[in-house]
Order: sequence, then structure tokens, then C-alpha cells
Amino acid sequence: MLNEEQVWLEQARQGNKTAFGKLIEAYQRPVYNLAYRMLNNSGEAEEAAQEAFIRAYTRLHTYNPNHKFSTWMLSITSNYCIDLIRKRRALLLSIDEPLPPHPALMSDGQKGPEAQMVMSQQQDMVQSLLQELAPDYRQAVVLRYWYELSYEEIAEMMDTTVSAIKSRLFRARRQLAEIGMANGLTAPMPAMEQAAA
Amino acid sequence: MDHEDFYPLMMDALDGELADAPRDDLEAHLRACPPCQREWQALLAMDMLFRQTPALAPAAGFAQRTLARLPNRRYRVWMIGVMYGALLLGGTLPMLIGIWIYSKAGTAVTEPTLWRTVWQAINQTAHVVGTVLNALLSGAGEYVAQQPAIVGWLLVMIGAVSLWSGMFRQLVAQPTLVQPSGMNG
Repeated sequence: MLNEEQVWLEQARQGNKTAFGKLIEAYQRPVYNLAYRMLNNSGEAEEAAQEAFIRAYTRLHTYNPNHKFSTWMLSITSNYCIDLIRKRRALLLSIDEPLPPHPALMSDGQKGPEAQMVMSQQQDMVQSLLQELAPDYRQAVVLRYWYELSYEEIAEMMDTTVSAIKSRLFRARRQLAEIGMANGLTAPMPAMEQAAA
Repeated sequence: MDHEDFYPLMMDALDGELADAPRDDLEAHLRACPPCQREWQALLAMDMLFRQTPALAPAAGFAQRTLARLPNRRYRVWMIGVMYGALLLGGTLPMLIGIWIYSKAGTAVTEPTLWRTVWQAINQTAHVVGTVLNALLSGAGEYVAQQPAIVGWLLVMIGAVSLWSGMFRQLVAQPTLVQPSGMNG
């Protein structure tokens, strides 16, 4: 996979769009998921994910092969999303309000209606919790939970220190836990045993 | 140790990075301290919710849509070349023409009467443009005053079209649910 990826990257650097298409196929899910978690809007998330890939394509000559391509892609995406959120704030409102619930979340044919409903509620709760966080806290939480990046990797991506990331995650988790419990998020039992798992 | 001292331990426990000794300390404290036990339960619930929530994938055809938007690198380089060429010509040509005119009719160009005539021509042109714009604006104003219903209807139609285009954009870009996976997801 890695060798294949290096070949695609080299070809894409020379302007081969088909090779870059392979990279899009490989990374579209993590990139889109990050954009969606940050922006909470499917239309804006698609737009942001596309823009992230376009930026990556036009800046491929700046990519350092010593780093993982995935990390570089996620870095471009999260920075673009932060810019969008700032612009959105500057405008004071977003034209495209979220459209809950997503029909796609309700149409997984492999799951029964009950499982689909639970999954949809879970997604809604996660999104509503994420929206309570400041953008830089949200960014740290998403990168930690969905991409399992280390504190060092997140710090590098967000251009800050490891201690700053630890502090953001610490505060973000406490904030999320507090709001979650206030909104009926139930705690599992027993506590430490599940933590060990 | 104070309550606050146990929070970093809770974070390490959530990350699965808590060593045995501090883990025992945390367990002992949680058993003895109901407020910290509640805090820990809430953190654990939040942590599990996030870990169990699957990633979302874009709507089908995302890669094709993105590829269609990629700029053509060769075309881009060519366009940049054309732009710089045009800027160069745009700066050089008027200068060359100016030098040529001055060399042919140097004394005429320095005549004050010529510049007075040019200034009058500019003034007259501005006056004509101003009159036309004034007439157009006052005509439009009168129309709005006479036909407010038509203008209102037009505004409603514009609003409906922009609202529908926003909704259409949402509808064609619905995500799909995927199971949690690695970076290549």
C-alpha cells in the first residue's frame, strides 16, 4: 500500500490526475469525516473535503515524503475547516443550516430499523456535543478519537505544543462529559474495568 | 492528593496510558469520593460514545466530482505566462506609443490649449453619462412606486430560487455511514 501510494504521489506530482484520483479514493473517507465533524454540515463538508484535495494537488511539490501523506492531508483539511469556521463567525450566520437527521444515516440496509435509529441518535449526539466545543478543542478531539493520532502528531498538525494539546483535550473531555451527562448520556458500570478494556 | 490531582490520571486512564501504581491510587480515590466517581463515569460515557461512533464517508462519486474540479497544471502554467505577457505588453505598449507621439508632435502636446480641449471633452462625457444614469435611476424608482406588487413578487422569486439552490446542494451531497477504520478507511 505504501509503495503504491508513493508511486501515485510521484505520478500525481508530474500532473497525472488518474494517480491523484487513486489518492482521493484512498483518503476520501478520513478527509470527509474530519470536515463533517468540524463543520456539522454535509454540503459544507463535501465542499471542504474537495477543496482540501485541490489544495493538496496544487501544493504537492511542498509535501515532505518524510511525513505520512495522511497526516499532511488531514492537516490541510483541518486548517481549511478552521478558516471556514472563522469566516462563518465573521458572517455571524451560515446560509446552509444543518439538516438533521442525515438520510444516509437512516438507510443502512444491513442494519435493522432499531439499530439504525440508535446509530442515528448516536451520531446526532456526537455532533451536538462537538458543536459545543471551541473549534480548536473540536479539532483536537476529532483527531484524537477518529484518527487515533498521538499527542505529538496532533501538536504538529495544529502547530502547537504537546502540553497545549493535552490541556485542550483535558478541558474538552470534561466539557463534553458535563454536557453529555446533562443531556442524558448514561455512564457504563463498573467504571475502572471498562477503562482498562 | 486533591480532587484536581486525579483528573490527569483520569485522562491517562482514558488514553490507556495509566501505570499500575497510579491506577491503584485512582481506584482507591474513586471508591472514597462520590463526586470524582460521578466525574469519572461521565468521562467514561463520553469516551465510549466517541470511540463507538463510526466515521462518515462522502456521497458516492466524490472522487469523480473532486477530479473534475482539479486544475490543469500545464494550462495553469500557460495561463500564468499569458498573464505576465499581457501585463508586460500592457505596460510597455502605451509607453512606446507615448514616446512615438511625443517625438512626432512634441510641441503640439505641450500646448495648453490642447489640454484645455481634452479636459472639456472629459467633462462633457461625464455630464452625458451622469444624465443617462440619473434618468435610468429615476425611471426605476417610479416603476417601483407604481408597481410594488411586481417588484415584491420578483424579490420573493429570487429568494425562493436561492433557498432551493442551497437545499439542492445539501441533497446531492449526503454522506454515507462507514465502519470505523484506519487512515485509508
